[in-house]
Amino acid sequence: MKLKILVVDDEPQIRKQLKIGLEGYGYDVLTTSTGEDAIIQTAQQKPDMIILDISLGSEPDGIEVCRRLREWSKIPIIVLSVHGEDRTKVDALHTGADDYLTKPFSMVELEARIQAVLRRVAIEPTTNPQAEIRVGELYINLANRVVQVGGEDIHLTPTEYDLLRLLATHPGKVLTHRTILHEVWGGEYSEMAHYVRVYVNQLRKKLRENPSRNIRYILNEPGVGYRFISSETVP
Amino acid sequence: MTVRYTIGLNVAEGFIVLRKYITVGISLIGITLLAWVLRDRLTLANFAMIYILVVLLIAIRLGTIAAMSAAFISFLSINFFLTQPYYTFIVADSRDVIELIVFIVVAALSGQLGARARQQTQEAQQRAYEQEILYRLTGSMNQATDFEAVYKALTQVMRKDLHARQAYILPYASEPRRTDETVLFLLLQARDRIYGTLCVAFDTALSTQQLRLLRTCAAQAAMALQRIELAEKARVSQQYEEADRLKTAILRAVSHDLRTPITIIKTSASNLRTLGERLQVTEREELAATIETEADHLNKLIGNLLDLSRLQAGALTLNSELNSLEEVAGDVAARIWQTTGRERIQITFPDDMPLVVFDYGLILQALSNLMDNALRYEPADSQIEIQGCVNQSEVQLRVINHGEGIAPEDREHLMEPFYHGGDGHIGLGLPIAKGIIEAHHGSLWLEDTPGGGVTLVMALPLDS
Repeated sequence: MKLKILVVDDEPQIRKQLKIGLEGYGYDVLTTSTGEDAIIQTAQQKPDMIILDISLGSEPDGIEVCRRLREWSKIPIIVLSVHGEDRTKVDALHTGADDYLTKPFSMVELEARIQAVLRRVAIEPTTNPQAEIRVGELYINLANRVVQVGGEDIHLTPTEYDLLRLLATHPGKVLTHRTILHEVWGGEYSEMAHYVRVYVNQLRKKLRENPSRNIRYILNEPGVGYRFISSETVP
Repeated sequence: MTVRYTIGLNVAEGFIVLRKYITVGISLIGITLLAWVLRDRLTLANFAMIYILVVLLIAIRLGTIAAMSAAFISFLSINFFLTQPYYTFIVADSRDVIELIVFIVVAALSGQLGARARQQTQEAQQRAYEQEILYRLTGSMNQATDFEAVYKALTQVMRKDLHARQAYILPYASEPRRTDETVLFLLLQARDRIYGTLCVAFDTALSTQQLRLLRTCAAQAAMALQRIELAEKARVSQQYEEADRLKTAILRAVSHDLRTPITIIKTSASNLRTLGERLQVTEREELAATIETEADHLNKLIGNLLDLSRLQAGALTLNSELNSLEEVAGDVAARIWQTTGRERIQITFPDDMPLVVFDYGLILQALSNLMDNALRYEPADSQIEIQGCVNQSEVQLRVINHGEGIAPEDREHLMEPFYHGGDGHIGLGLPIAKGIIEAHHGSLWLEDTPGGGVTLVMALPLDS
């Protein structure tokens, strides 16, 4: 059965291009220009995913649509934003969006994001996560708390390990600084985003990342947070 | 302005006057008693000297009227108690008459002089006090950069130094609703321009000196407001000028540099549409890929133009946080690997590199621009180095290129927008990087790489 995607954007040309492109990738595509209609269509047509523009030019805007949908639905949402709206991206993620993409983007990028989000949604219900993670040279055994790079054991402090485990068990998903702080350090640290930067920096050195050769496991999402590389996109 | 005393004030003032004369009376009675006891052992001249001393002291402490009264009473006391025949105002010895006349003249004169000295001291103190208040007021107003700060400094002086019960500023010209000497409305006016009204209420009516001080404060505030207004006008007009210059430059850039990618996109798209099936698959793919790359190019160019106009209009808001420069360098390196597929960059950071407060997105943009520039002139067989280091109160990011270096005449123009460095490339990258770094209170400069090439140094302050 074909997956059904609802595209919400106030620009007719963008709706049209996304429809053509996504249908080309084999999805069923519904489109609408307003947030109100997006909520109604989600309730009636039950799409499998929503591609939602943040600035719809009318009320409710993307963030509000996201918030209202999350009151009753777990449908995966990818929001579209323009360059420089870091705050909006973070807001969208905290209101329940699963991922975001910055305009202009290519169809290839969009399709990759859709696939990644759908895969995570499919995995999430299983309460028993995989015990081993392998990405490039990196190997993590969650059961024994063993981390290896190129077959060599790496010693991590408990906080570094917790940070790595959190990121690695959410491959391809953007985790905001606040989310990471909350999960690793606890709620009372949610304003200390620089902790995350210091620890990520240390972790990267231990994992022997080399960005000049594109050897990276933890990717930066400027102004938003971090994203662990997903095994499918390893170079 | 007429002075109207309230009843409460009358009582207090009366009490002060009363106390003055009680002091005069007690001093004179005391000294007369003493003289009376000693009158057989001392001469009239001795008594006269003692009385003059007392009159002088009274003059210095209590002023002219008290001194004059004291001189007259002294004259009578000497006459009555200390000159023979005693207890009459008759003076037997004619020499005593001369002494008495001389006494009253000297006492009166010294009383006058003493009182004047006292008055001058008081006035000097009052002036010093006023000077100090004015000095403090102008001091805080000189630092003010907006009207609010001036208003605040003025009302603060009114409340703290002049003990106003209430002080506030109306941003327009206003008149008091009822006439009351304790409530004053003063226009803040410099030349013909009125900047507002200072409204102050006091518990009691003000003295002439206080009124004078009040008016001077208001005049100083008006001058400060005028200075701020003029500075703001100058800033706005300078911005307009800059914006105008920028507009011309953007128009020029639009006609040259933006049209190129648009032309390529348009011809590729129309080729695809009209030739369609007649093209080979590889050709079609190539055309489509060209459209994508040129669109990216266009997007970057427009982003740069927007950043530049925002920078120059002073409209850039920083989303500043403690961030890692190493992370920024990593992002740039990864992007370059993705576009070139080669390891073109070597990154070195000390282990104890501190986090710095900056806007991640903007500094990423600045470093990307520096890298684009450095890469363009880097020999194919060598690598650009990015080095991080701490230098006293700043952190530095050094982008080291090993190319041929820059001609001295190009060097000084390198940071100017739209400067074409001979290779026809639109010169936006470095000015934007410079603008972004300066918006962070940092600096960007060029150095020669030992052995050839150019090193771009970005420095950000550590303590911001």
